[in-house]
Amino acid sequence: MSYPPTKAPAAEVSPFDAPARWPLALLAGSALVWLVLSSLLALVTSIQLHTPSFLADCSALTHGRAQALRETAFLYGWAGNAGVGLGLWILGRLGGHPLRALNWAVVGTVFWNLGLLAGMVGIATGSMTGFSGLQVPRAVQPVLVAAFCAMALPGVLAWAGRKREGTYAAQWYAAAALFLLPWFWTATQAVLLWSPLRGVVQTIAVSWHTQSLVSLWLMPLALAAAYYIVPKQTGKLLPGYESAPLAFWTLIVCGGWSFGRHLIGGPVPAWIPTMAVVAQCLLLFHFLVVALNFRQVFAGGSLTLQYLRFGLVAYLLTGLLETITSFRGVGVHTQFTLLVPAMEQLTLQGALSMFLFGGLVYQFPRIIGRDWTLPTFVSGHGSLYMLGVVISVLSLGWAGLAQDALLNHSQTPFAEILVQLKMPLLLHTAGQFALLAGNVLLLVAFLRSAASSCCREEGAASLRPASSAS
Amino acid sequence: MKNRPLFLLGLFLAVLTSWAGFVLGSHGQLGSLTPFFDEADGQSHPARLPGLAARGQLVYADLGCAACHTQQVRRPGFGNDQARGWGERQSVARDYIFHAQPQLGASRLGPDLMNLAGRKPQAPSAEELHRLLYTGSAAHPAFPFLYETREIAGESSRHAVRLTGAAAPKAGSEVVATERAQTLVAYLLNVNSGFDYPEARPLPAQSPASPEAKK
Repeated sequence: MSYPPTKAPAAEVSPFDAPARWPLALLAGSALVWLVLSSLLALVTSIQLHTPSFLADCSALTHGRAQALRETAFLYGWAGNAGVGLGLWILGRLGGHPLRALNWAVVGTVFWNLGLLAGMVGIATGSMTGFSGLQVPRAVQPVLVAAFCAMALPGVLAWAGRKREGTYAAQWYAAAALFLLPWFWTATQAVLLWSPLRGVVQTIAVSWHTQSLVSLWLMPLALAAAYYIVPKQTGKLLPGYESAPLAFWTLIVCGGWSFGRHLIGGPVPAWIPTMAVVAQCLLLFHFLVVALNFRQVFAGGSLTLQYLRFGLVAYLLTGLLETITSFRGVGVHTQFTLLVPAMEQLTLQGALSMFLFGGLVYQFPRIIGRDWTLPTFVSGHGSLYMLGVVISVLSLGWAGLAQDALLNHSQTPFAEILVQLKMPLLLHTAGQFALLAGNVLLLVAFLRSAASSCCREEGAASLRPASSAS
Repeated sequence: MKNRPLFLLGLFLAVLTSWAGFVLGSHGQLGSLTPFFDEADGQSHPARLPGLAARGQLVYADLGCAACHTQQVRRPGFGNDQARGWGERQSVARDYIFHAQPQLGASRLGPDLMNLAGRKPQAPSAEELHRLLYTGSAAHPAFPFLYETREIAGESSRHAVRLTGAAAPKAGSEVVATERAQTLVAYLLNVNSGFDYPEARPLPAQSPASPEAKK
């Protein structure tokens, strides 16, 4: 219980980590910068919900654009960078060789972040594509795919050239995520940007892409981190591990099918929402196995495990709620209301980010070879972030339920609905403020640790012979 | 998981199946939809958007209006879209075949805009839309950057927005809709799904599954 969570025993800094130190720190650092930016934008958009005049004069931050900016910074900036950093690290460690082709990863990371920056400027100045989840201007998208391939290369090499024949669940998830993103993103670009399909098929393609982004790319990276860290932190084998391959394939095969739950009653073929119900029911098996595998996180007390525990609970809740709302009888109430962003926050900030935070908090001391310089800031981030997620999700859920009653079951004039939701929306802003404050703390802690590690490069380097001897 | 090529092939095929099934499958189903020729009025439906309105769709997309507005009416009995006067019938895929980029939207913080010009009981006028866009309301942000305030030189502009109260410009000036505002409003007033396609009609009340039909 009292085990200091962020303590990195020197013996754990494996010789594999030393050459990968700065490439991985670059990924983690850029992830955290994007995270702070996205939570700042999330604060702006949440204020705009109850005070529409906020920043309305500023064309770059009008609500629609601020939403797109927030989403892009979060998905591609924060979760993308952090997830790839963790994925590479895990594949390198489990592959049994130091990571190769790391200069590719550095170049890829630089171009990925520059591309995203160009994309953000494009969105703010009016070149966004208008496809939710894929708002980056079309000229930037091929650059991002190419940059991603370069970033992922060390991971793919580590997977292909691994020492041992047997593999771990963490490796499947990480390798799958690195392999699948370029594949489905290219396919989506082809049918949306270069040779656009006609009419609502575009909407189907973009919903499919957004779902795949979470289910086939980001969530697998986050799960890879959890599968790697949970047994290390609890010191026990994962229970029910023999079912993990089946859970993995369930997610990979069915993960992209469930987007239709957002399209019920819409002008799309009726079988698409029906397939979402099927997929969600099949995915329950995935969630069940993940719950079994990770159930020991409820025993431990370290900060990493606290993050993972919160993430696991949120992940399971997400699975359950998405299944329930995929049925038409329920979905007709939740569709188009704030319950949808509430569930999205539960997935992205509750489950995904928490797994990634757990991974980062565990990974970072081990790659720079020294403990967090400001452990209180890190645990402060943990508390603030968890508080922020709970407040945001509950307040949006409250607003969503009230909105459903006003929108679907009464004749309240439209202009009054948003006014009546003011209370929960103000609460939501408070939640976003807690998230922002927490993220700033984590960024400061990261920068302090990285800076002090730079100053004592020799001290860190002296760990290498000690650890290779162990 | 030991077999490396098989693992990658499995991943590839899993996503290929999903992509081909959903994206190519629905393209096969809907990609070749043609306009419906109505012999009664001798016209094809839907009509292409007029040029000004087609450009307005780009403004709609780049401002991210879809963050709060949908453009899809659900069928009667599914939600209360009809009761709100958003449309007599559900939107169908054919409504969107001439939309360069359909903006179905996923959130109704604002009202549905699929059928704004045919809104019951009364559709908003271009003048009202400009006023809302310029001044905003308690539930709608203002977009003042789509308008410019300038001195009246000679005659007042025909694109001037008539404003009263606090929002009114000082004497001798006027607030004029820029081209972007004009195209946006033209677009909003032209997205229309008034025509009653055969596939948009609700199923007959006596479905074969109902107990009466079985008798």
